[in-house]
Amino acid sequence: MSEKPVVRSSILPIPKSIGLVWLNIALALILAAIGLGVGFAQSGLAAQQVILYTVLMAATVFVLLNYVAVVFEARAEARAVASEEDQEAESSRLRQLWADNRVLAIAMATLLVLYLILTAAIPEFRSIKNLIGFLVLELILLFAFKISGYFAAGRSAFIGLIVLFALIVISAFSIEGFLSGPNIKAILLFAAFLGIASVGQTMVALLGGLDLSIPFVIGSSNIALLFLITLGVPSYVAFGFILVLGGIVGFLNGVMSYRLQGQALIVTLGTGFAVAGFTQIMTSIGSQFAGNVFGTVPGWLSNLAAMNGRFFGIPFPPTIFIWLAIAVILIVGLKTTTWGRNLYALGGNRRSARLIGISEFKYWVGCYVISGVFAALAGSLLLGWSGGAFIGVGDPYLFTTLAAVVIGGTSLLGGNGGYGFTVIGVLVLQVLTSFLLGIGLEYEWQQFIFGLLILPMVALYGRSPHIRATV
Amino acid sequence: MAERGSSTNAYLLVPIILIAALLGTAVIRGPNLVSESGIGSAIIVAAPLILATYALMVLAVTGRSTVDLAVGPLLAFINVVIVKLSTAGYLTSPIATFIVALGLGMLYQLLFALIVIWVRVQPIIVALSGFLALTGINLVIMPRPGGVAPAFMSDWGLGTSIFSPVLLILALATAGWYLFTATTFYSNLKMMGYDERAAWTSGVKTSTVRIGAHLIAGIYVGLGAICYTALISSGDPTQGQNMTLTAVTALVLGGVALSGGRGGAIGALMGAVSLWLIGYVLATFNFGAIQAFMTQMVYGVILVLSLLLTLLVPLISRYVSFISPWSAFLVLALVVIGIMLQVTTYGAFETLEPVVASATLADRYFLLPPARVAADGLAFSPIQGFALLAGLAAIAFVFTARLVNAEAGARTMGLFLYLFVAVLLTALFVAILLQPESLLFGAAP
Repeated sequence: MSEKPVVRSSILPIPKSIGLVWLNIALALILAAIGLGVGFAQSGLAAQQVILYTVLMAATVFVLLNYVAVVFEARAEARAVASEEDQEAESSRLRQLWADNRVLAIAMATLLVLYLILTAAIPEFRSIKNLIGFLVLELILLFAFKISGYFAAGRSAFIGLIVLFALIVISAFSIEGFLSGPNIKAILLFAAFLGIASVGQTMVALLGGLDLSIPFVIGSSNIALLFLITLGVPSYVAFGFILVLGGIVGFLNGVMSYRLQGQALIVTLGTGFAVAGFTQIMTSIGSQFAGNVFGTVPGWLSNLAAMNGRFFGIPFPPTIFIWLAIAVILIVGLKTTTWGRNLYALGGNRRSARLIGISEFKYWVGCYVISGVFAALAGSLLLGWSGGAFIGVGDPYLFTTLAAVVIGGTSLLGGNGGYGFTVIGVLVLQVLTSFLLGIGLEYEWQQFIFGLLILPMVALYGRSPHIRATV
Repeated sequence: MAERGSSTNAYLLVPIILIAALLGTAVIRGPNLVSESGIGSAIIVAAPLILATYALMVLAVTGRSTVDLAVGPLLAFINVVIVKLSTAGYLTSPIATFIVALGLGMLYQLLFALIVIWVRVQPIIVALSGFLALTGINLVIMPRPGGVAPAFMSDWGLGTSIFSPVLLILALATAGWYLFTATTFYSNLKMMGYDERAAWTSGVKTSTVRIGAHLIAGIYVGLGAICYTALISSGDPTQGQNMTLTAVTALVLGGVALSGGRGGAIGALMGAVSLWLIGYVLATFNFGAIQAFMTQMVYGVILVLSLLLTLLVPLISRYVSFISPWSAFLVLALVVIGIMLQVTTYGAFETLEPVVASATLADRYFLLPPARVAADGLAFSPIQGFALLAGLAAIAFVFTARLVNAEAGARTMGLFLYLFVAVLLTALFVAILLQPESLLFGAAP
């Protein structure tokens, strides 16, 4: 019962129960048939291609289904053994069932009632798209409550991925050209900016801190970089210098907030104000346009971040690849290096981490330095994207970085989460933005919906225990 | 006394020093502040910020790092709703306006509390969610600033007299907090903020206490929104973020701990007033085009510095036990009110004449003979006037020294201290109110 089932070693996992195997085969075949039908229904696809893709898909689905079945079979067995000892009466089991599922049942029923009322009341609401949307929402609820429980560690990532998937499906159905090349490119580009800006917030959150200076550092580096370039500093040198400056701001943040960890929110806000004010004063000395910097952005920087940028001939702006590289390095690095593991140890429990000889000060300051450098990087890249400097360019990132971290599932209390989660959070936010823009909702409605989205997302996985359980 | 030493209010030391320094600078740089219209407009401009800071203060005391980031957008939300309803003609009577404002504030805060209690997510996440949602909905209700405030508050925002309804609201809000601190509910609240588990184990109904605290915060936000509406006499959906940032800053300047359990109305009041004073002092310097940037930078620097200073407070109070916040308050209040009196009554004195060599010995000795009051009945000779002033100063010094000594050990402030400061304040008001306008600030008689 205590030993773990070994499932990862075999390439083709096969469930013990033969019924499950048949069920999986049937499911795979049904999907293959649907795929075949859809494939042939689209004119213009070669028959060979359709058949190849169908076979590949059926095989993949079959293997995946078997894998999931094996994992759950083992767990079900373990649970059956555990529950044998306390057999309960039929009525109490029913009550138990209701107690376990009441939130799910109530939520699904509410959604159903809402949908029925809307359908009955508004004639324009009756469309196949809305029906699909409704079914997808119900499925999300079901998945979020029932299946995600099995993914103990990555529960938030699982929910995030499902929401992301559902959003893409709904958007693809309801918005013309959502899955077109330019739109995907735009989504990825903005996700890259937000993702790079959220690196620091994630690292700091892993230690239980917050960094509100990010938007101000973004805006400051944005105008400072163009200012330096206009002064005649070689653009590469200026770029590097700005990153170093960002690191210095982060260092100051870290050192000053170390003894004031409960107030990190305010300390970083204060340094943010100071940095933004100072940069604007510096850049407006000797200029009659206070606060505005005019100049030409070097070509390589524009190519790096603009929509029509190219990366070794691929028509995707290099920023996306930079973000990808950063994400891979961070995810792997946090998981495998000593530095990363120590970070989690510190975030989880300061006292025990200190007892095994991890310097809290070093890691705290280190995280803030990383935050400053990446905020400066985001600001510089945004300069390449827009082609003009503007201090307010960072303003939308004030709480959006926080929202991305929180939606992804990194706990603000520290010790839980990682950059992979933030990537999911960033993508969810960005796809949602694109969807809301696509259906014609303005910025204010987007804000409103973001706000309402954060709560249920966090409520699904980020609940703290009842005080009864902590005494 | 067995345990002399650190007073429970030691955290107030930093705000007191800060506000004294700022007030002194402000009065010297811009004497207009010390006049009826100066103080009146200061009150009306600072009132929304003060009330928003009170709301944050109540929430901060509940613990769990509750910083309601949504306080600014909520204030703007109530403002926008009031203006929208009043422009449409539904809202004319003061009572209805108050009910709407306080009701909306309390409703939102009740929701906040219920989510924290039942859904059990961290308060900062609820606050973040509320911030985004309310910012969005404000712009939906009113896309750009405009509209008309209810007619009854049209003359509130003029700020021509000190005793306006806004001052009444502020005074009631502050007095209400002090009445509240006398209740058991408040001790439970403080205990919960300091250590929630301990409070729960010792039988405090933490859920009820949390809901109560949030409702009080809702009342403060509602009052703040009314003052804000009176101030700008229209609706503005865009100022929410600024209001949040300044209110949180004021909260911290006032020495309230974000981690819970520590804080009070005096601290929050001083924080908000110092923040307003920073802006006032900076406005008296002329930085030209970079004025806004300078303000931003100084805000940031003062914020960080005052936070770092709070780290020194335990150190100071360990070694220098005779400085209690209240004695510091007393001494600094004397100095600042002295500056105010000097600045205000400057014009009432005769201009100095050069001391000639042939004057009497005493006149030559005191190179600057004390100013003579010009009014007939109050004429003193220089020597008389000086002796009088010196005597008064000696008495004040003796009393102050005694109080400082007694204060250092005591944990509460004696009644005499209140009286003393009150008398000085009354003197200031009398000086402002009774003097003809032409005599203020050294204007030519």
